[in-house]
Amino acid sequence: MELKGVFNPLPTLTWNFLDLNGVGIDETVKLNNRGDLVIQDLPNGITVEKDGSLLDEVCGGVGPEMDNIMKRENVPTLVIRAQKGKTVSKPICLDYKLGEGDGLLRKQEIIAEEGSEITVIMNYVSKRTESGFFGIQTKLKAEAGATIHLVKTNLLGNQYLHFDDIGGVAEDDAHIDVIQMELGGGRTYTGTRVDLRGRKSRYDGNVGYLTRGTQLLDMNYNIQHFGKKSESELILNGAMMDESKKNFRGTINLVRGAKGAVGDEQENVLLLSKGVHNKSLPNILCSEEDVEGTHGATIGRLSEDMLFYMKSRGIPEKEAEILMTKARLNSVNRLIQDENTLGRIQQFIEEAF
Amino acid sequence: MAEIKPDVKDIDRSLYDFRYEEKDFYKVKEGLTEDIVRQISKEKNDPEWMTEFRLKALETYNKQTVPEWGPDISGLNMDDIVTYVRPNTAMKGKWSEVPDDIKNTFERLGIPDAERKSLAGVGAQYDSELVYHNVKEEVLAQGVVYTDMESALRDHEDLVKTHFMKLVPPTDHKFAALHGAVWSGGSFVYVPAGVKVEIPLQSYFRLNAPGAGQFEHTLIILEEGADLHFIEGCSAPKYSVANLHAGCVELFVGKNARLRYSTIENWSKNMYNLNTKRAICEEGAKMEWVSGSFGSHVSYLYPTTILKGDDSHMEFTGITFAGKTQNLDTGAKVIQIGKNTSSSISSKSISKDGGISTYRSSVTVMPEAKNAKATVSCQSLMLDDISVSDTVPAMDIRTDDADIGHEAKIGRISDDAVFYLMSRGISEDEARAMIVSGFANPVSKELPLEYAVEMNNLINLEMTGG
Repeated sequence: MELKGVFNPLPTLTWNFLDLNGVGIDETVKLNNRGDLVIQDLPNGITVEKDGSLLDEVCGGVGPEMDNIMKRENVPTLVIRAQKGKTVSKPICLDYKLGEGDGLLRKQEIIAEEGSEITVIMNYVSKRTESGFFGIQTKLKAEAGATIHLVKTNLLGNQYLHFDDIGGVAEDDAHIDVIQMELGGGRTYTGTRVDLRGRKSRYDGNVGYLTRGTQLLDMNYNIQHFGKKSESELILNGAMMDESKKNFRGTINLVRGAKGAVGDEQENVLLLSKGVHNKSLPNILCSEEDVEGTHGATIGRLSEDMLFYMKSRGIPEKEAEILMTKARLNSVNRLIQDENTLGRIQQFIEEAF
Repeated sequence: MAEIKPDVKDIDRSLYDFRYEEKDFYKVKEGLTEDIVRQISKEKNDPEWMTEFRLKALETYNKQTVPEWGPDISGLNMDDIVTYVRPNTAMKGKWSEVPDDIKNTFERLGIPDAERKSLAGVGAQYDSELVYHNVKEEVLAQGVVYTDMESALRDHEDLVKTHFMKLVPPTDHKFAALHGAVWSGGSFVYVPAGVKVEIPLQSYFRLNAPGAGQFEHTLIILEEGADLHFIEGCSAPKYSVANLHAGCVELFVGKNARLRYSTIENWSKNMYNLNTKRAICEEGAKMEWVSGSFGSHVSYLYPTTILKGDDSHMEFTGITFAGKTQNLDTGAKVIQIGKNTSSSISSKSISKDGGISTYRSSVTVMPEAKNAKATVSCQSLMLDDISVSDTVPAMDIRTDDADIGHEAKIGRISDDAVFYLMSRGISEDEARAMIVSGFANPVSKELPLEYAVEMNNLINLEMTGG
């Protein structure tokens, strides 16, 4: 398959020298449809349709190229639906188990009908040194008063090329809550776009990441506030090691008419090796007066004060760095309510050190 | 509390919107061709290397594309722009010798008065050339050179040749190339080692001719331990046709030297202000930018500092006020290379009456930097719901040995703050005025008193409320 075009496009362009306006890719990847999807027991109130496609108009953060690929390759859509008024506390787990040389495209839609609540966990797993290609697209629709909790964990091998495209819409009083743990993959491009169309609709994004070796993690978040009193909060906690690279683009767009909307994005990056390369671009676009938009970032190594504190308690510098990295990732992990998923993440992190 | 919109008045432009006819002025034809560039070079008696430089820059200009990011500049047509307009006078050292209409212009702008009261030297440019230049004897006695660029090219050719467009090469972007091809006017300052210029120098740029461009070049060199405050002001009357400002400022700040560069920009609202400013700091040097952007139809303005030397430091304090028909894209850039460098960017912007303000910045910490520190803070105030305010700040960190902090906030005047002040006996009008003035205060307090007053006059924040 030809993988060609601009991915993770920035909603508003900036200086070309920053190389953050989007990612130009032109390469060929092998698709062989290998790779297993295991769906564990479906709780009551949840249905799964094997080939629907109801949310084509919903845009994802990786950009229109991802839609084009899905159409061109006729990728079937799995539709997971929470029925009206049903609150399902048990998560639906989708485990994508990939192996050496696998090449897979997948697409799913999660629809939470009015007043329902659903939790979906997607784990992408392969062995540490394996290579392959995995592209996945997830479209979300939270109808009035509904809540979608989505957890994604990237535990792919360190030679994997991975695209993860998320697009969502939230109607009145609806809530989209996405937790992402980006730990694996050789090159990962992940993009999220959420349109907060409804009054008092809300998006929460919590992202934990650890980049090592020569990993590249490229992220693009685009939160569009249309609804009055809509709220968004995007928090990223990460650590970077070795020669790894990470790009973060985060855009909160407070559109005219979104009176009373509040958007906030925060990024905390711990830099642990001389060879790391971090780029952060937290944008706020604002065409409405009656709003609040904030963003903040702290980027750096462990502070001298923290190091002194740790050393004075007999903890060497390297150990202190590991402790603080785990603490950052655990601040995201603790939001995940599934023991199996947590176990896998913990194991992956332990192996990293 | 009932919602009452603050009535923040537009900047009072009557001070700037006047003009005199360009009687007997020399002009080149509209447009940009090799012949026009050669003609400008000939008129200015350029040395041969400068003529070649201009022609090469023109080639670069023709190869470069306009930026696809930032405000729309499709209304700017170079075929309509006159790139060189020479007033009918040579540069004078006394105001009494400057022709009356030009002298009156600067008197109405208060330049001779400011010179008498608070400046060590003044340069006044009218269209493409300086018409007045003077510097106090005691400053000259310190070995300071403050002159127009043409005189510098004649009297200090080696120094100019070594530094001219070395920080901002014509290949930097299309309008840097344009500047390289048609530059004219501007100031040259050289401060010898250890010399502290106690009171500021000022250059004032006035663009009078409709449909003209101004392309002045400012080159400042501070040797080791030198200290200078340089003030730049600019204005133009408003026309229905587009005017263009594509100036270039290059600042070389030597070891342990300190340079403060203050700008109050108040171009008319038909102006495309595509200006480039850049400084390089050697070991222990300190660069301070104070920037107020009030005029122009479109602005692209991002003063850049290269912290090359160990222990060098940069501070940027800026305010942008975008009103009706204005799209002002402003901010700052810093590149940290040396050990123990630090930078601080503090930016404020106000948008009203459909104005668009964009704060755009970048902090780059290179791999060889050690113990680099940077803080960025930007705050934007929206005064109505037809305006736009965007922030686009980038951080590019290529080492772990850095400590970077960033914060930004966009919002409107807080009802709580107004209520708090009102509960202490202050009227609502006064409360809103105090809040907006307080918002601009961090910039005005960085300016000398006379200029802070000018800035406050420019903002003219008259709050009437309900």
